[in-house]
Amino acid sequence: MTVQSHRRGGGGYLDRPAPSGLADVIEIILDKGIVIDAYVRVSLVGIELLTIDARIVIASVDTYLRFAEATNRLDLMEQGGGKPLDEFIGNMQESGAGRKVKGAVSGAKKALSSSDDDDGESRPAKKSSSRRRSTA
Amino acid sequence: MTPTSVAHEDVMDLGTTDADLGWFVYAVVDADSRIPDDLTGLDDQPVQAVAYGRVAAVVSRFRLERPPGRSADLLAFHRVVDGLADALESVVPVSFGSVVLDQEGIRDELLAPNEGWFGELVDSVRGRVQLIVQANYDQDALLREVVAADPEIARLRELTRDLPEGAARAELVRLGELVGAAVEHRRGEDADALLEDILPLTVAHVLRPASGLERVLDVALLVDSAQRDELENRLEVLAEEVHDRVQLRLLGPTAPYDFAGEV
Repeated sequence: MTVQSHRRGGGGYLDRPAPSGLADVIEIILDKGIVIDAYVRVSLVGIELLTIDARIVIASVDTYLRFAEATNRLDLMEQGGGKPLDEFIGNMQESGAGRKVKGAVSGAKKALSSSDDDDGESRPAKKSSSRRRSTA
Repeated sequence: MTPTSVAHEDVMDLGTTDADLGWFVYAVVDADSRIPDDLTGLDDQPVQAVAYGRVAAVVSRFRLERPPGRSADLLAFHRVVDGLADALESVVPVSFGSVVLDQEGIRDELLAPNEGWFGELVDSVRGRVQLIVQANYDQDALLREVVAADPEIARLRELTRDLPEGAARAELVRLGELVGAAVEHRRGEDADALLEDILPLTVAHVLRPASGLERVLDVALLVDSAQRDELENRLEVLAEEVHDRVQLRLLGPTAPYDFAGEV
């Protein structure tokens, strides 16, 4: 993936990665596009659910404890150079992204194995579909 | 243009009989669209257009026995749809995983009953592209703001920061709760401010669900090609203005995946 630095002088603060990795592609294409009811024969639902799950922010006690920890680690940086907090945040972001990709990939695997064949017949597409995403 | 003829010889070596093959559908385009010759889809099958009236479906042969969903399939789908978007004036992506059983079905069951609707969709995105803007907080700067702005947060931090692990759990949870709420409040204000700057240069937008402590905004924008430069310049300026606390990312242009349902 080509990632331009967003710290180049004279503008260039806008980060413009080329969306080429699987995670980017999944984020861009899944759960999008015209939905043609009768023809959707993959267990796309499995993928959709996992994708959406990965986006849910769980406001649990654990989450709060992580926020607190992050806030308290701020002190380390104020006192001594900043390395510890940077590392901590880097780790958090890394593990977060890793989970997301894994979830989506296993979703794809699940779709592959659970081939629901109850849709072998072809019916005309319908214009109105409950699965069409409403747009703002 | 006449419908592209779909001959049996087009089938590449899929090691299976015709009855086991269906058609994977990528997108709906104008009937007179010229599909790039070198475009290959899932399983490296050649991509072709099947036209009916004013619209055409872009399809490739596909083995019915295996549901698509491997990562290579997703990447191939993305390659085809965005390849079309690069080459054509108007491309409406079809949801990944859509398969029609036979060639007649593409015309008689997919295109014929939906020609009007598909035509409107194709018109609605003509000459337009999708861009995705994502804004993320610099966590460090965000937490500094939050601590500085709320005496109670500062107090709880003083109280809990040097205690051994496992101590003052209630206070830690309370601290995290307050930090979470403060971030949520800021997120709303910052997202609104960014949108206010960006949306006047767009035709439509779709907010995508935001997640995590650091995400401020994730929005898909439908943009007239003629306004794309102006929007990108605006985003560059914005990115510089906010870079101390927020990083802006721009993805795309892509095919209008988020606007395929809007007429």
